[in-house]
Amino acid sequence: MKSTLMMMVVAVVAMMSLAASAGTISGKVSGVTGESVVYVEAPAGKTFPAPTQEPVIDQKGLMFQPHIVVVQQGTTVQFLNSDSVAHNVFWPSVGGNKKLTHNLGTWPKGEKRAFKFDNPGAVPLLCNVHPEMSGYVVVSPTPYFAKTDASGAYKIENVPDGSYTVTAWHEGAKNQSKPVAVAGDSKADLTLSK
Amino acid sequence: MNTRRRMFLLFAFVLTVVLLTGSSYAIPAFSRQYGTSCTTCHIDFPKLNDFGKAFKDAGFKFPKDDESFIKIPPVMLGAPAQKDIWPHSVFPGTIPGLPPIGLRFNQFFQYTSGNANNYYQVPPITPQTPVGTALSPTIPRTDFEAGYFSIFMAGNFGSDIAFWVDDDLSVSGLNANGALGDGYLRFVNIGRFFKLPTDALTLKVGQFELDLPFTQARSINISPYDIYTEANIGSSSIGQNVNNQFSMQDAAQGVEFSGGHQYGGYHYSLAIVNQNTSGGAAAAPSNVSSPAGFFSDSNYKNIYARFSYRFNLEKDPASRHDIQAAGATGPRDHTYLSLGSFYYEGRSVQRFISGTDSLLTAREPFYRVGGDFSFNYRTFNLFGLYMYGHDQDQAFNGDYSGFVPGSAAKFNGGFLEADYLALPWLMTILRYDRVQSTGDFLNGANSSNYYSPVGSARDRFTPGVQFLIHPNIKASFEYQYRPQQALYYNASGQAVAAFRTNTATGALEFVY
Repeated sequence: MKSTLMMMVVAVVAMMSLAASAGTISGKVSGVTGESVVYVEAPAGKTFPAPTQEPVIDQKGLMFQPHIVVVQQGTTVQFLNSDSVAHNVFWPSVGGNKKLTHNLGTWPKGEKRAFKFDNPGAVPLLCNVHPEMSGYVVVSPTPYFAKTDASGAYKIENVPDGSYTVTAWHEGAKNQSKPVAVAGDSKADLTLSK
Repeated sequence: MNTRRRMFLLFAFVLTVVLLTGSSYAIPAFSRQYGTSCTTCHIDFPKLNDFGKAFKDAGFKFPKDDESFIKIPPVMLGAPAQKDIWPHSVFPGTIPGLPPIGLRFNQFFQYTSGNANNYYQVPPITPQTPVGTALSPTIPRTDFEAGYFSIFMAGNFGSDIAFWVDDDLSVSGLNANGALGDGYLRFVNIGRFFKLPTDALTLKVGQFELDLPFTQARSINISPYDIYTEANIGSSSIGQNVNNQFSMQDAAQGVEFSGGHQYGGYHYSLAIVNQNTSGGAAAAPSNVSSPAGFFSDSNYKNIYARFSYRFNLEKDPASRHDIQAAGATGPRDHTYLSLGSFYYEGRSVQRFISGTDSLLTAREPFYRVGGDFSFNYRTFNLFGLYMYGHDQDQAFNGDYSGFVPGSAAKFNGGFLEADYLALPWLMTILRYDRVQSTGDFLNGANSSNYYSPVGSARDRFTPGVQFLIHPNIKASFEYQYRPQQALYYNASGQAVAAFRTNTATGALEFVY
């Protein structure tokens, strides 16, 4: 009984100690309007298990909804067609690499097609019959990412203490990266430009 | 001769402008309303893809769940529940949330071939030609021409009532000398009131282009199809009195019943329209006071009928029956073969003062009949049409006191065209036109060509290329390898120094 109690105390202390070593990166992305994405680049040699959740991007009313989805590398995304017109999803590149272009084809209303994103970077989603349709999957190499709010503010939580590089992405601007040392609450403001 | 030549040149110039400024439309109003690109409905505007055909068939609406695609909600002209108390209220409808107005402007540049030098001659210059004879302007070797500035409106009022109005505000850079193109209301799927199958019966009322197998008003080509512009003018040299100015491209006024779909299966139309003759508007008859009605030359009604069947050749049944085929890289037009036929029957009217100082009215029945096909594979479309025209002739008798049956005036011809969309923004076109009309040849300089055709068969090749700079801006180029013509004939009736007015044309067009 005494030893069990002792183990519980040790476990709680260990958890508290872990929590104490996981910090937060917050800040503001300026220079652009609308949603941006901020993610932590993967430290060298560090990999992260792929999540099991499969987010859904809908094609509804001739729009990709949501317009921007951020996923961790290795995530499978489901593409749903809720429109009563035929749609197509393809992307010309992943992270600017045109060799990673892919076309998911055509599928009718109510059906989904899945794709696993194994390469990090921004994936511009297009439809070849409705060229005005625009969406993005931003594939983060780590599980540490966030979308900004309307003011450009963001907050990435549960980042283990350490030195990292954060990258900001916006659909109409060039990426910007900067180093940040995480120890508790850290701040990293980024300014993007076209 | 000078007057005659002046008339030639004026006619030729006007014809050039008209020919080079064929109407074409895409509808920016729909882009605004649905927040979508022109290419949703058009391959190379204004040519419709299968979805565009379905959109048009449905009354300028998305065929299914239209409301879910509209980005600018329509204005309600009555609460939906008003339907429940009809006829004790006006049946509610809607109007588009934005004025459904689109504008279009185009301009042209043309270059006529070296053979245009022929125009600079005055045939025949003889020693008797007075010195200092004034010459009329000639067709320039190169020319910039402003085309049309047009306004067009289209949409639907809810309750499956669609509308279309287009009008040319200015033509060739001049103000307000344009005209109404199409203006109609279309009552879609009224067959439901008679428990007919869906889309089996639709009614169109107003002024509209006939349901031609391949539209002229909304063609991608710069120059029109020659067979559509062919009027049947008989030759007095063989005693014919036929003077029928009707051509298939003319806008018709009347009603049209139609059914089926343009994107698969059967399609039919039956139009009852005003006779379209060379006669102008009639004067108000003396026995009817002015506001009692409308006065026109349209005592008779003509009939146009068309039937076609499109065989969608997709292997996958779901694709075959859907509006668009499910391609491996996205929706696309079906692979299909469409076969059709059409028939127009009417009566042209000519009035004369007889030899006995009374009125003589010649009513000459005529018909146009033809067949057409269209084959599509991916982005390649091969299509063609053949048409035969026949006008009965009422020739004058010896003392102009009446008519005797004359020899019918006939013509035939058609076209064959291949369109290949090499890239989503690059359309290549090769077209062959042919018209055979003995009357045109015999009429010589009075033919509808620039100058006299040298034979009864006229054909031309027209390669073209078009670039979509943006979905709503297009640059088009066309080279017309035109039929042989002649300025004049020698005493034995042979063409002297026959030539071809080959013409390169370029056009810039934008809609917004």
